[in-house]
Amino acid sequence: MDAETQTARDRGEGLDLRTLIETIPALVVCALPDGSVEFANRAWQEFTGGSLQQLKGSGWQTAIHPEDVRGFAEEWNASLSTGKPFATEARMRRADGQYHWFLIRKALAIPPDQGGDSSLRTLIACEDINERKQAAVRLHQSEIQLQAFFENSPSMIFLKDREGRYLYANREFKRARRITEEQINGKTDNELFPAEQASVFQASDRQVLEAGVPIEFEQVTIQKDGQHTSIGQKFPLLNPDGEIYAIGGIVTDITERKREESAHRYIEESHRLIVETASDCVVSMDETGAIRFANPSTMKIFGYDPTELIGKPLTELMPEFMRKMHETGFRRYLATGQRHINWQGTELTALRKNGEEFPVEISFGELTRDGHKVFTGFIRDISARKKAEEKLRASERTLRELTETIPQMLWSAVADGAVDYCNQRVLDYTGLSKEQVQGAGWMKTVHRDDIESMSRAWTAAVSSGEPFQREFRCLRAADRAYRWCISRALPLRDQSGQIIKWFGTVVDLHDWKEAQQALQMTQAELARVSRLTTMGELAASIAHEVNQPLTAVTNNGSACLRLLANSSLEPQVLRRALEEIVADGTRASAVIARIRAFIKKAPAETSELDINEIIQEVLALASHELHKNQVLVECQLTRTSPLVRADRVQLQQVLLNLIMNGIEAMTAIADRPRILWVRSQIDNSGDVIVSVRDSGIGLGSDTDRPFTPFFTTKAEGMGMGLSISRSLIENHGGRLWSTANSPHGAVFSFTLPAAGESP
Amino acid sequence: MSAAALVFVIDDDPSVRSSLKFLLSTVGLQAETFESADSFLRRKPTDIPSCLVLDVRLPGLSGLDFQRELAGRNICIPIVFLTGHGDIPMSVRAMKAGAVEFLTKPFRDQDLLDAVRVALGRDRARREQDKEVEDLRQRFDTLTSREQEVISMVVAGMLNKQIAAELGTAESTVKVQRSRAMEKMQAASLAELIKMIEKVKPSKEAS
Repeated sequence: MDAETQTARDRGEGLDLRTLIETIPALVVCALPDGSVEFANRAWQEFTGGSLQQLKGSGWQTAIHPEDVRGFAEEWNASLSTGKPFATEARMRRADGQYHWFLIRKALAIPPDQGGDSSLRTLIACEDINERKQAAVRLHQSEIQLQAFFENSPSMIFLKDREGRYLYANREFKRARRITEEQINGKTDNELFPAEQASVFQASDRQVLEAGVPIEFEQVTIQKDGQHTSIGQKFPLLNPDGEIYAIGGIVTDITERKREESAHRYIEESHRLIVETASDCVVSMDETGAIRFANPSTMKIFGYDPTELIGKPLTELMPEFMRKMHETGFRRYLATGQRHINWQGTELTALRKNGEEFPVEISFGELTRDGHKVFTGFIRDISARKKAEEKLRASERTLRELTETIPQMLWSAVADGAVDYCNQRVLDYTGLSKEQVQGAGWMKTVHRDDIESMSRAWTAAVSSGEPFQREFRCLRAADRAYRWCISRALPLRDQSGQIIKWFGTVVDLHDWKEAQQALQMTQAELARVSRLTTMGELAASIAHEVNQPLTAVTNNGSACLRLLANSSLEPQVLRRALEEIVADGTRASAVIARIRAFIKKAPAETSELDINEIIQEVLALASHELHKNQVLVECQLTRTSPLVRADRVQLQQVLLNLIMNGIEAMTAIADRPRILWVRSQIDNSGDVIVSVRDSGIGLGSDTDRPFTPFFTTKAEGMGMGLSISRSLIENHGGRLWSTANSPHGAVFSFTLPAAGESP
Repeated sequence: MSAAALVFVIDDDPSVRSSLKFLLSTVGLQAETFESADSFLRRKPTDIPSCLVLDVRLPGLSGLDFQRELAGRNICIPIVFLTGHGDIPMSVRAMKAGAVEFLTKPFRDQDLLDAVRVALGRDRARREQDKEVEDLRQRFDTLTSREQEVISMVVAGMLNKQIAAELGTAESTVKVQRSRAMEKMQAASLAELIKMIEKVKPSKEAS
C-alpha cells in the first residue's frame, strides 16, 4: 500500500466515500481485482455518456480506445501481480465519440471489508490530459518545422556556447565549410579553421559577448573557388536569468547577389544613358499629371530645360485645345483603365516653349511603383517627316491632277495584276465606276471574243514581267459600240528588280485602225491596178525563165552538131540530148503560155464609165507617188461627165502607166517645177480625149519610139508599159500617142469612143 | 585543148548546167557544175587552170555581188557571165570588174567556147607567171643576205667599186659575191638578172 492510498484512507475515515467520489471533479471508477467495474462516478458517466449499468463488469473498457486496450490490460495485470502502482495513459471515448487522452491511475486501494464482501477494491482516477498531450505534439511539430527551416536555409546557421564550442550547425554551414556533423560538434573555430579565419569569427563572437546585443557584420572568407563575401548577424541567447549562455549566428553568402547587383546597376545605367542621350524626348509624369522626369532632348525639342519642367503639369507641353481633352482622358483612364488614345505611336500636336505648335508622335508606357502609377511618354518631333509627307502628298496631288487631265486613258495595277487605279477618262469611256474597274472588273468592257486572249496576254505579262501590249475591242459607254483599243503597260520595279506596280495606258485606235484598213484596201487596189507598171520587172523574170530552157536547148543542139561534125556522136548521147531538148522546149512553151495568160487575161469586161471619175480614182491611187516626188497635179476636166465604154481596170492601168511615166520623167528635174497636167476633152467627133502632160526630160526626136516593145529610158524598165497600154487602148477602139511638150516634157494622149458608139 | 583545165559552171537551172557541161565536153573541156555560189565556195581551190561560167541571176547572191566577193577573198578566177536578159549597165559593171565576157542567153555555142578558152588562157598565163615569180623568189631566197644586198645594189646600177665602198669590203669580195649570186639566180646576163629581180621585188616588198 502506497502512501497516497494510505492518506486517502486516512482522510476517508468518517466520510461517506460514495459522496466524496461523486463530488471530486475527476473521473473515478471503483474496480475489482479482475478489472471489472463495480462503480463509476457521475463525472465518468457524464463523460462517457454510458449508464452505470452499462459500465458495470468489463463494459467500461469499451470506452477505451481499441489501440490502448491492450497496453492498459498489461499494465493492470502487472500492477496486480507486482504490486507496482498502476498508472497508464490511454484514450477514452467521450459521449460525442471523440477520444481524449487520460492519465489513468490507482487513486486508492480499499481493503476487503471485514464482514461482507471479500475483494480488494481499487479506486481508479482518470485525469484528462488531452490539452497537455496535444501541446506536446504541437511542440514537437514546431520543433520539426524549425529544424526544417534551419536545415534548408540557404544561410549558414549555428549556435555556439560561451566558450565558442559549436552546439549546432545547419546543413548549409557544414556544406559551405566542408565539415561533418561529427567534426564540428563541441569544437571551436580554432580547432576547425585556419588561425586567421578563426580569429575573424571569434572577434565577432567576442563583440556579442561583450555588448550583449545582436550585431551585424560583413566578412570575407577565402574558399576554394575564390573570395566570398558574406553578411551575417550574431546574437546572444539569454537564459531566464538574463545571462548569455550561447551565441547564435546567421551568415549569408552574398557573393552571387553582389554580382547580380552590379549587373543590375549596369542595366540601370545603360537605360539611364539611353534615356539621357535619346534623340526622342522622354517625359515621365505621375498620377497627378505632374512631370517627374524629363531627359535632355526636352531642351532640343520643346525648348525647356529638363529641370524647369519637373513638377509642372504635362499639359504645359500641349497646345491649349488639347489640354482639356488630355485631362479628361487621363482622369478616365485612372478611374476606369480605359485609354482615350492609342498609346503606341499616336500623332498629336505639341507646344514648344516659344509657343510654336508642332506635330509629334507619342508612345506611352506605364509602370506601377510602390502602388503609384508612373507614365512615361516618348515624344518624337515629326515636323520634318510631316513636311516630307506633305510634299509627297502635294507631288502626288500634282501627279494625280496630271493623270486626270492628260488626254489619255491611264491605269495602274498592283504586282499581281489587279487593277487598282484608273483615271477619270477610263471611267468616262467605259462608263464603269471606280469600284467596278478594280481588280479584273475592267474585263467587263472587253469584247467577248477578245476576253480570253486579253486575259491570257495580261497574265503572261504579269508573270513574266515583260511589257504588256494588246489590241482589243472595248465597249464605249457613249454609244454602246465596241471600238478597237490598244492597251500597253510597263512594270515599275524596286531596286531589287521586284515588280511593285504596273502602269498602263489605253488608246482608242478605232479610227486609226479603220483608216489603216482603208489604206490597206487602197494599196491592194493600187497593187492590182499597177500590175501593168510592174510589167517591166515581170518581163525580166519572164525573159530569164524562157531563156533558161532555150539556152539548154541550144547548148544541147550545138553540142550534138559538134559531135556530129567529128563523127563522134554516139546514139545514146544523142538520145539523151534530144530528150533534154524536148523537155526544155516544153518548159519554154509553158512559160510562154503563162505570159500570154497574164497579158491577155480574161476578156475585157466593158461597162459605161465616167472618164473623169476614173481620172480622179487613179490620181488618188498615185497620190502617194506624186507627193513623194513633189509633183504638182493640175487637172483640167470636162464639165460634163463623158461616158466611155471600157474595162475599168484596163483603163485605170493605162492611166496609171501614163501618170507614173510622167512622174518618173520628172524625178531628175530640179531647175523647174514638176507639174503634171491631166486633161479630159471631147473632140469634134464626140470621142473622149485624155492627155497626161509632164515637164520632164522629154522624148527626144522620135515621139513614137517609146511605144516599141522593150524600148526604155529607165534603168529598171523593160519598155513594155507603153506598148501594152497602146494595145489596150486600141482594143477599146481608141488611139494612144505622144507629142513633145513645150518647152519641156512630153504629152501622152489617148482617145476612147464615147459610150453608145460601137468601137 | 589541154585536158589539164577545169571549167566551173554556176547556174540555178539544172538543164542549163547539164547542157553546158555537155557542150564543154564536146571540145574536151572538163566541167564541174554548182547550183549556187555557196556550194562552189565550199569546193577546195584547184591548182590547175580554171575559169568560172556564172549566171548573173543566182539564188541569194547576185552574180555581180559574187564577183565582188571573190575579189574580196583574193580569189582570182576569170569569169564568163551569162544572163537571161542583159542590160548595158550591168554588163559594163561586170566587164569593168574583170569579167572575160558577158553573154546573153541563149548564146551561140562558139561564143561561149571562145570566151571559156580566153578565160582559161588568162588563168593559165597568170598561174605560169605566178609560178615563175615563185621560182625566182625561191632562188632569191637561197642567196645570203649579203649576196642579196650586193645584188640589189647591182640592179640599182652601182659599180662593184662603189658597192665595196658602201659595204666596207674589198672589191674582189663583191665580185665573188656577185658572180655567186648570178649563178644561184641562174641569170645568164646582167640584163636577165635585172628582169628577174624586178619580178621578185614587188612581191618581195609586198610580203
